[in-house]
Amino acid sequence: MQSTPHLDVLPPLVETGKTDELVESGRTLFTTVSPLNDSYAVFPAPLLEKLSTRSRSTDSGEQNIYLVSSKAPPSTERRLFIGDTSIIFAAMQNLRKTVDENGVYLTQPETIQRSIRKLALDYVNFAKECWIHTSRIAGEANLATADHYRSLYTCLSLFTILYLPEYGLENAPVGDDLMEWLNIHFIEPSTEEGDHLSGLERPWEDETYWPYLTRAILRGLSKAVTFFLGTLSEHPSGNLQRLAQSIIPLLSTQPKLQHFDAERDFAYASHRWKEKVRALRIELDDIPQSDRRDNFEDWWDRFSDIVGILEGREEVIRKVCEDLGADWREVCVAWGVFVDTRLRRQDLPDVVGQVLEDMPPDPTILEDMVHVALFMGDPLKALEHAAQLDPWLSAHLADMMEPLSLVEQAVNDESELSVRDFSVLSYAHYLHSDPAMWRITVTYMYSCGKVGTATADEILVRVPLRLQSKPSNANDGGDSQADQGDLSAIVKDVNATCHEYQREAVRRTVCKIAAQAFVQKKEFGLAISYCSSAEDWPGLGRVIDRVLQEYIHSGPEQYTRFVSGIAPSLQGLRTNTAAHGVFTHRLMFAVRYAEFHQRLLNRDLQDAAWDLVSMLQEGIAPKAWWAVLLCDAFELLQYDPTPLFSYAGTCVLLRRLDEIISRTAQGAGEDYLKILEAKLRIDGQKDTQKRLQLVRFALAKYFARCAMIGTGGTQTAPRRVDPTV
Amino acid sequence: MIQTGLIQNVHDDLLTDVSYDFYGLHFATCSLDQKIKVWSLDESTGIWSVEDEWKAHDAAISKVSWAHPEFGTILASASFDRTVKIWEQTTYAAAMELQPNTFSATQPATGGSSSRWSERATLVDARGTVRAVEFAPHHFGLKLATISTDNHLRIYECIEQSSLATWQLSEEVDVTSLPIASHPSSHSVALGTPTHTSATLDGASASLVAQALQQSQGSLQGRGGLGNREADGGWCISWCKERYWGEVIAAGSGISGTIKIVQISPSRRPTTLLTLDPSPTGKLLAEGNTAGAAQGESDAPTPYAVTTVAWAPSCGRSYHLIATGSRDGHVRIWKVKPAEENDMDDDSGGTKWTASIAADFDNHRSAVGRVEWNITGTVLSSAGNDGRVRLWKATIGGVWRSAGSIGVEQTEDEDANMDENAAGVAD
Repeated sequence: MQSTPHLDVLPPLVETGKTDELVESGRTLFTTVSPLNDSYAVFPAPLLEKLSTRSRSTDSGEQNIYLVSSKAPPSTERRLFIGDTSIIFAAMQNLRKTVDENGVYLTQPETIQRSIRKLALDYVNFAKECWIHTSRIAGEANLATADHYRSLYTCLSLFTILYLPEYGLENAPVGDDLMEWLNIHFIEPSTEEGDHLSGLERPWEDETYWPYLTRAILRGLSKAVTFFLGTLSEHPSGNLQRLAQSIIPLLSTQPKLQHFDAERDFAYASHRWKEKVRALRIELDDIPQSDRRDNFEDWWDRFSDIVGILEGREEVIRKVCEDLGADWREVCVAWGVFVDTRLRRQDLPDVVGQVLEDMPPDPTILEDMVHVALFMGDPLKALEHAAQLDPWLSAHLADMMEPLSLVEQAVNDESELSVRDFSVLSYAHYLHSDPAMWRITVTYMYSCGKVGTATADEILVRVPLRLQSKPSNANDGGDSQADQGDLSAIVKDVNATCHEYQREAVRRTVCKIAAQAFVQKKEFGLAISYCSSAEDWPGLGRVIDRVLQEYIHSGPEQYTRFVSGIAPSLQGLRTNTAAHGVFTHRLMFAVRYAEFHQRLLNRDLQDAAWDLVSMLQEGIAPKAWWAVLLCDAFELLQYDPTPLFSYAGTCVLLRRLDEIISRTAQGAGEDYLKILEAKLRIDGQKDTQKRLQLVRFALAKYFARCAMIGTGGTQTAPRRVDPTV
Repeated sequence: MIQTGLIQNVHDDLLTDVSYDFYGLHFATCSLDQKIKVWSLDESTGIWSVEDEWKAHDAAISKVSWAHPEFGTILASASFDRTVKIWEQTTYAAAMELQPNTFSATQPATGGSSSRWSERATLVDARGTVRAVEFAPHHFGLKLATISTDNHLRIYECIEQSSLATWQLSEEVDVTSLPIASHPSSHSVALGTPTHTSATLDGASASLVAQALQQSQGSLQGRGGLGNREADGGWCISWCKERYWGEVIAAGSGISGTIKIVQISPSRRPTTLLTLDPSPTGKLLAEGNTAGAAQGESDAPTPYAVTTVAWAPSCGRSYHLIATGSRDGHVRIWKVKPAEENDMDDDSGGTKWTASIAADFDNHRSAVGRVEWNITGTVLSSAGNDGRVRLWKATIGGVWRSAGSIGVEQTEDEDANMDENAAGVAD
């Protein structure tokens, strides 16, 4: 998680302290940021003002690109953690929804708090499990990882104890709960010490004996305390033997809040217990000076400290903690158990403030700083430190803090974000360092109001669709159908996400990009369906143009094959009222023209001829294509065995030809001849005029033939109506 | 900060630009060696390899820009040869037969890659080095803006998307003499500053063209006065990413130390909506900036060029962030507020845009050559002649702070790190 604020890349471009050399050699540094994961490409670039004087050099490093990330992308185990906790986050969002949609609170505050507490405990348990899991895996790196989860675990559980107690217990004394927290997370005294001491015959002779005993008492570890006090029955001093016997029942009877139904009873019991401690003190003070030492220790002082702790003497607890090397946490928690047994959550900041004056926390340990802020009742500060420790922590804490009114719900005027949204967005930005986690990234972002939504849009629209990956392998015999299904998988996924968050503009952009990519792959059918999904009618027109270009470039066989892929879309588009007529019309022409070529290829010449005429007559063929169609007619006109065109049909051809020729003469040739020109160029010819003259000649011949054999004129029966269009 | 990779010997000479595509899975590099290379990322290994490379211009290339993918895979390159060229990647084999200028992948490592880049158009209107080119946001169609040392901002629109062959020069304006939109009182162009009296830009730009040409031919020239001349002309552009305000672009030209926010409209000539002027004479200063006031108050400011500008994606915020980097060594972040709805003046179509400096950093202590935002407009990166890349991030209260830096200096424990990084190194 931690990363250095400054990095010098390798290999270096200049020696230590000689950055000036960069400019002197006519170079500067440039950078550009990747939309994929916010990583930076850093490279030396020429200084423009020294360009002309710069001698071209081929030094190594001159043409390097250094790739740098501000944070390491999440590891596999971290990804699991992120993924799994996002489920708890999602549950939290559902809870937030029931709050927001209905103004203030639809559900009882009690239900809300219970639910949040339950989810908070889920986070706590999850962090705990990750900690246990990672600490089981050996290795240096894992040790650090495990420690990181441990710190999340301590922060989350402290947050839960201080800010999410069981409903109704907000005002209950907090000492016992905090002691439990301390004992779970910061285990002292260590088991090893206990094992060592229990193996000794006269443990009090060991230098660790009294510190161990004192700490165990401070921590309320009654079993260990009873055992080791019991060993004092062998101590040479009869006084100490007696004192040890008197203190054992006291320790086991110290009132615990959880054993009482009413706090009043607890307070009363505590008071009575304190009186017994006082009696013990009197007994202790009666010990003559002569018997206050054994051969190793001034045991009386040690015992006096222990009684002092039980009496709740502040100065003793502080001194003992300092001697034991314990930190401010231990003092504060002991305070709530011994000094002020009725210490409440709201009183903590005062106590902690006093303790910190003498025992300041280590500002470099972020975990401690989060603890301090939580103890001090400063959620904002806690978030600030948590963000440095792990953006995950600040995001999820802030997400719980807002409904608990621990942080302001109002947006900041500058960033236009609430505290919660700012924290959650920061985390989401961190998630963006791993592009594979885009689903989780946008989920977090979409929970953050207007700014979050717009931010998520930027991420979502840039999810790589992977439609054109490895075009070279597309033809290596793989099942093309499966290939397609696979290829659109991410588009469909992104589309579904857009639907979920109602991001229509993003969805359309993504569909447009997909359509364009499919055009490049010559998957025209898919391209058309994505165009219509995006309601991008000009785009649809361009796709059809590309299909028609296939005819010009690759000839009729290829063309008819492509059109068979797009023909089904025509039906769908006709029923779609939003579809723009012009483009549907062009699609219709593409389909009809393919049918015509299919008939030609099948030698169904009679029908082909009829198709040709009707495309021109019904105005389906665009003007730019007329000349191409007329050239297609050339062969049909020449067909010897039987005349294929009716007299009327031939007249249609002639009229179109006349229009082309006369308009070309008027200078509008571009409109009429462009396609034919392109087609002829592919065929290795140039002169469109010559081609059209040939068509005119063929038409003239055909008319003559009609007149000769009497098939022309009105005698020809009208042809059947073609049902295909 | 961690180094995740290294690409060595990217070109035969210094790189002038690296530009990521829309997704960040490819980038295009260009160089003084007149070539463009397109690289692709193997996500499984994290290794970048050359997909295509070709000689693209007759002089050094200054910038490359990718078009939005809804238009296809299209690049524009700007060069010291005074042209901008449009390139399209296509697997459309037949179409290439129409195009004489086709370049094939020369990298054998890419194996059966069938990708090709074809020159689709050459835009030859600039009368000086084209220093920047940037495609417009996709919702405005397939358009691009260029700025060159002749001080001109040019907007081109693709007439025929299927061929990319025809580009109409829809706007061509001298940035230094742009008309100001209505309400001149609400924003100011610091015409009275010594900047303008000391340099006659028109005269300078003519010689600049010749000079740029000489430079591009590699001829050596005496250094006298070179620095001054190089500071002239158009430097940088950055489009407003948002659709709502129409086509708006930030442009920097000359040595006035300012950036102009220019509105492009089909119905009338481009106008300046706002001038970002950090000098004390700039009236904007009165609108809340205190950071920059300390400098330059005592002496008349030295003229300097703003060489880089970056308009952040607004991402739902009510204001815009525009970052500038200039030769006075400052990185500035401007908070720009578009006109309120009721401020609209129908007669002139002008709007009251206002700006204030949200941050002003002089940490580079030398000319700043690049500023760039990440895609969510949350992190600004700046690069300067101090050999540092610096990152900047805002707190919730809008206070911008350093978020890390990258250097190229040798470090003490270099040897130790060398081995560690070797694994991630790719050529």
